[in-house]
Parts: sequence; structure tokens; C-alpha cells
Amino acid sequence: MRIAVVGLGAVGARAARQLVSTAGVTAVILRDIRPARVDEVAASLGTAAVVERPPYTAPPEADVVILAGPAGTHVDEARALVARSVPVVSVSDDVSDVRALLDLGPEAEVRGTTVAVGAAFSPGLTCVLARHAGADFDVVDEVHVAKAGTGGPACAVEHHRSLGAVGLDWRDGGWVRRAGGSGRELCWFPDPVGANDCYRAALPDSLLLVNAFPGVERVTARRAATRRDRFTARLPMLRRPHPEGGPGAVRVEVRGRQGTARAVKVLGAVDRPGVAAGAVAALTAVQLARPERRYLGAAGLAELVDPVPFLRELAHRGVKVAVFGDV
Amino acid sequence: MAMIRRALVALGVAGAIAVVLRVRGSGGVPPQTGGWRELSGPDLR
Repeated sequence: MRIAVVGLGAVGARAARQLVSTAGVTAVILRDIRPARVDEVAASLGTAAVVERPPYTAPPEADVVILAGPAGTHVDEARALVARSVPVVSVSDDVSDVRALLDLGPEAEVRGTTVAVGAAFSPGLTCVLARHAGADFDVVDEVHVAKAGTGGPACAVEHHRSLGAVGLDWRDGGWVRRAGGSGRELCWFPDPVGANDCYRAALPDSLLLVNAFPGVERVTARRAATRRDRFTARLPMLRRPHPEGGPGAVRVEVRGRQGTARAVKVLGAVDRPGVAAGAVAALTAVQLARPERRYLGAAGLAELVDPVPFLRELAHRGVKVAVFGDV
Repeated sequence: MAMIRRALVALGVAGAIAVVLRVRGSGGVPPQTGGWRELSGPDLR
């Protein structure tokens, strides 16, 4: 199979690296608006890498395309690919991107293709964890997502921006708009990240999870932030974003009913967000390249992937998932 | 005039308290029992 990666930042480069070491992937087409970056990434990937330097006049010729460019660039590219019936994997965590990509669902369905929306660390792995945890319940009432850490510079910019924007909570069948930086909650992530105060922010996880759990009563998403993050969120970034963040984590808490009893299940994962996002995007692309893929339309990973084999393969690639409970 | 001054002082004090709570407040209590365990073998079948 031929898989293209458009955008070779922290996530795109990691996804490409994952793909070249995946059985069945014969070519990884690399695109980025920076020609030097294309050459740099290709040099580290070996013979499976296919270099395509800008300018680009048409979408890449591939079985699946991973969109890993900056937020705001995904929708037009995805629309062009859907028109050609090419499956798309978007790693964008921008709320506007996610909304617009979900809106491509009807056209993707008509054209017999799939748009995987938010296929990264969070959203992405969080959606898979929610689906996996939700399998233990007869009825899922609540899903609460929290994330800590950032990947590359684009992710750091998004982190800053999201804390100053409006967060979306799903409550009793409707969306509630809440100020970013509000709703502090102490969230306990797997070690070594541990306890972090988390706050509402403009995060797209809720948009994807509400669709995946019909009838769910509450869905929230929070992100870890420092006091400085919150106070400077509505200002321009005071310093350049870092090239790569340290360890990050996600935590997904699912509440629901098992028979007549109420229960809670908490899953989490720790990794460098860029690395884990690259692995999730690559695995998703490989799944979409298989002819037996079931879902047609646009959706998050909670609706697209079978969580058990997906998590098993992720663990094989070094992204480990943990469960909180009695030890 | 005095009433306006008192109202402004009250607003200022309330704002200062809100800022202190926002900066210094705690988001909750850490879990008292339990811990993280890696999902493996039987959990992923």
C-alpha cells in the first residue's frame, strides 16, 4: 500500500517513520511546504520514502493520505481527497477543523470513503480508550477526557490558543459553552506525569465522543495548564514554542451502568505526544488502507477502530496503556 | 459619592479574592487508594 504524509512536523515525521516499518506499506510519500524538511525526513527513512517537493498542484497519488500540516489547512485538502474517494486521516486538534471534517461525512459516505478525524494523541488515542472502557458498561452515562503535555511547536501554539477560547461541554443532550481556563480539576495521570490541575479549553474530543456514544449525558475535555499558561492565554505567546515537548499523558474516565450498579473505569497513557500521535495516525492509515474497512463517512477513532487490536498494536509500538484501580 | 467609593472598594476586594482563589486554589483531592497498572495480555484479548 502507498500512504502519503502531508506535513512533516513532529507528528507527520513520526507517522512516516512508523509507516516505513509497517508490513505491507510499500511507499511513504512525503510532502511539506518546506523542501528542505522533505529531504531531511526522507534521508532518515530509507528506500520506502518517496519525495515530493513543492509546489503541489494536485493531491498525492496514494491509497490513504495522512494530513499532518498546521491547523486550518486540513479541510480543503480533505475535501479534494474525498472527491477522489481517497481515505483521509487528519491529526488536527483544532475545533473548527474537526467540525468541518465531520461535515464531510455525507459526501465521504456517498463516495465510499472514510475521513478519520482527530487521529492523534488527544483526540485520537483518547477516543480509542473511551471506546475500550465503554465496552465494560451496559450504558455509558459520562465520558471525561484530560490531557497533559504538547508535541511540536504547532501543538504548543494550539495549547496556548485553546486555553483562551471557549470550551464545549456536553450536558444532558446539549452543548454548554464554558470559558477556557475555567473548571479546575485535579487529574491523576499515569506516572511519571502524575497529578496536574486541568482546565476547560477549546478541545475537540467532546465533539467526537458525543457521536460515538449515543445517549451519553455528559462529555467533557480538559487540559493540564500552569498558572502562567492561564494568565497569558489571551495574550500573544510571550516566547517561541519549544521544538518538542516532554512526556505527556492522557486520561479517560468513563462512568456508566453495569446491570443495576453504577461503575467507573479510568484508562490512561503516557508518552511524548508527538510520538504517540504519529503512531496512532500511522496505525489508523494502515487500517483505512485495508479493503475490508467498514465505516464510510467521517468520524473519530471511537467509531472507526476496534480498540483491542488497535491498543495491542500500539503497545507493540511502545505506546502503553494503563488502567487505574486497586493494585 | 461615598456609596460609589464603597462599591468600588468592595468590587476591588472581591476581585482580589477571586484572583487569589484562581491562582492558589486547589482542583481537588488526589486519590487515596489505588494506582495505575499497565494493560497487558488478558486486558487486550
